[in-house]
Amino acid sequence: MAPAILVGTRKGLFVLKGDETRRTWKLEGPHLSGWDVFHAVKHDGSLYAAANHGVYGATVQRSDDGGKTWERSEGLGLPEDHELTLEKTWHVEPGPSGTLWLGGAPGVLFRSADRGESWEPVMSLIDHPTRERWNPGAGGMCTHSIQFDPKNDQTMYVGISAAGVFRSEDGGGSWTPANKGTAADFMPDDPFPELGQCVHKVLVHPAKTERLWQQNHCGVYRTDDKGETWERLEDNGLPSSFGFPIAIHHRDPDMAFVIPEDSARGSAGEVGGGDRVTSDGRLGVYRTQDGGKSWELASNGLPEQAWVEVLREGMSSDRLDPVGIYFGTKSGSVFVSPNEGDEWIEAAQQLPAVLSVEVAEW
Amino acid sequence: MVTVLLPGLLADQAGGRKEFQLEAPTVGAALLALPVRDLLFNERNELRPLVNVYVDGEDIRGRNDVDTELSDGQTIRVVAAVAGG
Repeated sequence: MAPAILVGTRKGLFVLKGDETRRTWKLEGPHLSGWDVFHAVKHDGSLYAAANHGVYGATVQRSDDGGKTWERSEGLGLPEDHELTLEKTWHVEPGPSGTLWLGGAPGVLFRSADRGESWEPVMSLIDHPTRERWNPGAGGMCTHSIQFDPKNDQTMYVGISAAGVFRSEDGGGSWTPANKGTAADFMPDDPFPELGQCVHKVLVHPAKTERLWQQNHCGVYRTDDKGETWERLEDNGLPSSFGFPIAIHHRDPDMAFVIPEDSARGSAGEVGGGDRVTSDGRLGVYRTQDGGKSWELASNGLPEQAWVEVLREGMSSDRLDPVGIYFGTKSGSVFVSPNEGDEWIEAAQQLPAVLSVEVAEW
Repeated sequence: MVTVLLPGLLADQAGGRKEFQLEAPTVGAALLALPVRDLLFNERNELRPLVNVYVDGEDIRGRNDVDTELSDGQTIRVVAAVAGG
């Protein structure tokens, strides 16, 4: 199987199709020209895109023919009498039993049981009693991470900036904050609050489902108890606690990848986010193979001099052997490692700002 | 009967149609009858703030906004706000 990469950009959706070596890539697109594609995913043969426009608002678009034509989900929004209105769509995630889930701003979640024809607001999260303590991050108050436990279809997680991680044990019927041990260093009076953390990306490990990985505004974290407690992985080879994306190895629960930005040491009380460019003036992917105890620079083939940004949706991994790792930059490049970070190839360059990278089978 | 003219991106979202002929008493009623109503209005049926609407060349903000009444033969033109670099 040769993978394809869905590359969401400020100016539409591109598709990179690779050969079996994952070293040669062909670019197609842009599809959805004129739209900011925050995220796109392929599911059951269809493409779904969280597509936003500065004038015409937030949408989900579906293509059943590989991107040639698109159909917009009409009627997407919050209840007419609700105090909130939909600002942005951020992430589409396939869920159990053929459902699709959509995260958006301001801290909202929707569920579809009809391939995105209609979307039901998940009011249990939208009207969560803690909402008054949620605050928007620089990118708005976005529900960007939606994760499911593949061994228990009632267990799911969302990550919201800056509200934190919430876990549901009843398929989205109710939600509990799951942030113990994750820091909010930007809140010096209460650096470990129940919620309000600026989570940047959360991933469940599909084989060891009690394990989640998290890149946060204030550190990289791992939990081995479904988010009951998080361990901060600090001072162990990472040049900064700050960054946005995280990628995992789908078979090896101890392997993960991050792209640090700035030079913030949380253990010294430093808060990242001031510069938002890659650490040390280089494009560095950092890999752990021991569950986050230590990290190593895995940048063979990446530019040694670079000040770039990789956004929270901008990194992904495939399920091949060896696992391929993919990321895109706001300066329009897409990099591919066909071998778990050992070496990198620039698969595309001079694209519009890359907002998201997602692996799809084609 | 009035005519509604859409810009390119909206026409793409309306199945490729740039022009619609319809009967409507007000600008709001005309726009809400379009297959891109959700792109022009939010879920509270409030016109999105960067959508500009002109009736026979006149901005509806200088008249009665979406409640501006229409007469037979008038042309509504939808224009996205232009800004930025």
